[in-house]
Amino acid sequence: MNKHLANVNGWTIGAVLIIILLFLPNVSIVTGVFSPVSENWAHIKEFMLFNYIKSSLTLVFFTALFTIIIGLSLAWLIAQYDFPLRNFMKWALILPLSIPPFIGAYTYHGIINYTGVIQKTLRNHFDVTPNPAYFDIMNVPGAIFIYTLFLYPYVYMITRIFLSHQSASLIESARTLGKGPLEIFFKVVLPISRVSIIGGASLVVLEVLNDYGVVKYFGIQTFSTAIFQTWFGLGDLDAAIKLAASLMGIVIFILVIERLLRGGKQFSYSTTKVRPLPLVRLKGRKAVFATLYTVVIFSVAFLIPILQLIDWVILTYGKVPMQDVLFYTKNSVIVAGLGAFLVIVFSLVVGNFSRVVNHKFAKILPKLTVLGYSIPGVVVAVAVITTFIALDRFLAPVYQYLGMDSELVLSVSLFMLISAYVIRFFAIGYNSIETGFDKIGTDFRDASRMLGANSLRTFFKIDVPMMKGAIISGFILVFVDILKEIPLTLILRPFNYDTLATKAFQYASDEKIMEASQASLLIVGVSTIAIFVFHKLLREEPK
Amino acid sequence: MFMDIKNLQFSYPKSPLNTVDNFSFTVEKGEVISILGRSGSGKSTLLRLIAGLEMPAGGAFTLNGKKMFCDKTFLQPEKRGIGMVFQDYALFPHMSVEENILFGLPKMSRKDKKKRAQEVLELVELIGFEKRYPHQLSGGQQQRVALARALAPEPELLLLDEPFSNLDTDLQVKIRGDLRRILKKAKTTAIFVTHNQNDAHALADRIVKIKDGKIEKIGRPCDLLGVSPTEIPGMVEITYEELIGV
Repeated sequence: MNKHLANVNGWTIGAVLIIILLFLPNVSIVTGVFSPVSENWAHIKEFMLFNYIKSSLTLVFFTALFTIIIGLSLAWLIAQYDFPLRNFMKWALILPLSIPPFIGAYTYHGIINYTGVIQKTLRNHFDVTPNPAYFDIMNVPGAIFIYTLFLYPYVYMITRIFLSHQSASLIESARTLGKGPLEIFFKVVLPISRVSIIGGASLVVLEVLNDYGVVKYFGIQTFSTAIFQTWFGLGDLDAAIKLAASLMGIVIFILVIERLLRGGKQFSYSTTKVRPLPLVRLKGRKAVFATLYTVVIFSVAFLIPILQLIDWVILTYGKVPMQDVLFYTKNSVIVAGLGAFLVIVFSLVVGNFSRVVNHKFAKILPKLTVLGYSIPGVVVAVAVITTFIALDRFLAPVYQYLGMDSELVLSVSLFMLISAYVIRFFAIGYNSIETGFDKIGTDFRDASRMLGANSLRTFFKIDVPMMKGAIISGFILVFVDILKEIPLTLILRPFNYDTLATKAFQYASDEKIMEASQASLLIVGVSTIAIFVFHKLLREEPK
Repeated sequence: MFMDIKNLQFSYPKSPLNTVDNFSFTVEKGEVISILGRSGSGKSTLLRLIAGLEMPAGGAFTLNGKKMFCDKTFLQPEKRGIGMVFQDYALFPHMSVEENILFGLPKMSRKDKKKRAQEVLELVELIGFEKRYPHQLSGGQQQRVALARALAPEPELLLLDEPFSNLDTDLQVKIRGDLRRILKKAKTTAIFVTHNQNDAHALADRIVKIKDGKIEKIGRPCDLLGVSPTEIPGMVEITYEELIGV
């Protein structure tokens, strides 16, 4: 009897199909590399490519550097010390994640430009008219500033969890050996948290490479904007694919570097006994400094932009018709809800397959889909659209047979956008579901089958109810990510289909910054609630 | 023959040795069998093979005239009519005691199901605990619920994986006696694996000693282990490992 064949059943077939579908578009990028070279591509390669690489890597390098400095220092402060406001800051410092960088970018531009609150106050109340050039953030350093503010929580979050759960005994023994705080920081904390710092920083790097909103708004030439321009400006999809492939190469290069830096260690925090690090209470000047530092970061990265957005919403009240906002909200909720739902269903099928089928292949295959999240949205968009156009060509006889006029059916439908979301965000949902499956193990499943329940009944009666937490948190994470998403939505949405994110982006691009505030505040509001639910209710609840 | 296993073969991937090697064995109806061996001897794997949770590399197994597996067929675990009590009980945490028991009952009226649940709860002396959830029960109570749940569908064969390993020592002795009484009262054919020869001695009609996936000895407890170890003064509790270590 063939052991592996006997395991082939509905789950396997479903899971393999899903994984192939998630992968297929990437193949179209790779094959695109070998297509004939167009004139545009020759031009891009000779005159522009180097600049794209340079500006993309500059953004990546400095953003990584600054997010590590801020994220690590905050994580260390919160994990090791007690000071006024610490308990609030512990999770409030995550909140900047709820502001998509492009919203942060135009908000800050609005705050400090000529008609913004800072220059206006200086002019009207202090009679100072500074050189407006001092206040220009629409350049590379400005973009690094914006990315750092709104992406540092990745480093902070992962490192803090690591430090407060894993390091107690090491730090305590260093203390008993008579080491001072600075020495402990550089000789113990820094080396042991290397893996989590790199884990957080690589998320930041992938976000920077993925970003389209900030660089487009600031007019910086990077890969994302170049792919967009080549495709829509020059109408050269082949050249766009070649650019996308180059960007994919950079991403894979970065992933390899990340692996090497981790020293072969997978980032994971063990589930064995967690002993929290006892806090050192800061007093006097030190306490004031610690509180001040966290308050400043929190204000600049969250409070100030939020207050500005609220101010604009009040100023423009009535200017943007309420029913428009409701309409975009509805669209956003539909695509994000549908996308998140599909991601979770697919993750459950693939996760169950990986758990049940005891074969190396079944463990490795799902891990590969994580690549989808590493690949920037613009690249996914190029990949998905080429695949769907090919699909439409392939199905043309069917359309004719059905008496449809158009030759493009799938590639102009909402279906294409949703598929792209699923490809891009599958890894987020899958991570959560896989953790859930790991937690419950296989014993309950075995027990259920020994009681006469088949695979399907076991799945719905035992697995799904027991994984409620993982399912809800996976859904929330994907939902929020889709809500904030820009490049995929802009490229792949059906004609005139607007979501909160695309509308906010368009208003901002048209220099109607204030009108963008309503949609932006809604996105930030929903994301904030989701982060709150996720960290306060789901994660930190003792089980 | 009620249960008949012939030339059972099994190995885990990457392992050069067979975990279960050419295992042949028969059981009469109503017998309580103990599989005794130290950890890593393949005894739990054997149980999982009988249950259908692992797929054998070769061999044949019939239960009450029904083919469980042979060269051509492999019956899925849910179709075998075999019950199992897991080492850590695997009680569904999101279901009450009663729901846990009802889960395994075949299609019948709601009233009959409830009646059957009451019967098994009475058997394990847990009437009144229907609405409790697993985490509200003590270890011994959880074990009895797991037993009741496995017995409720009236399986042709009951498997128990280290049934006492998660209990306190003084509780073990009491539960051991209860378990034998319950199994005999329900006239259940049962196989349980253990590393503790006191358990095997107190519970089993016959003991199968296994080593490296092969049968070392089969026999009645008194023939195999002599006088019950608990009856020898000064030797109250001794594990199999300790015994072989001597």
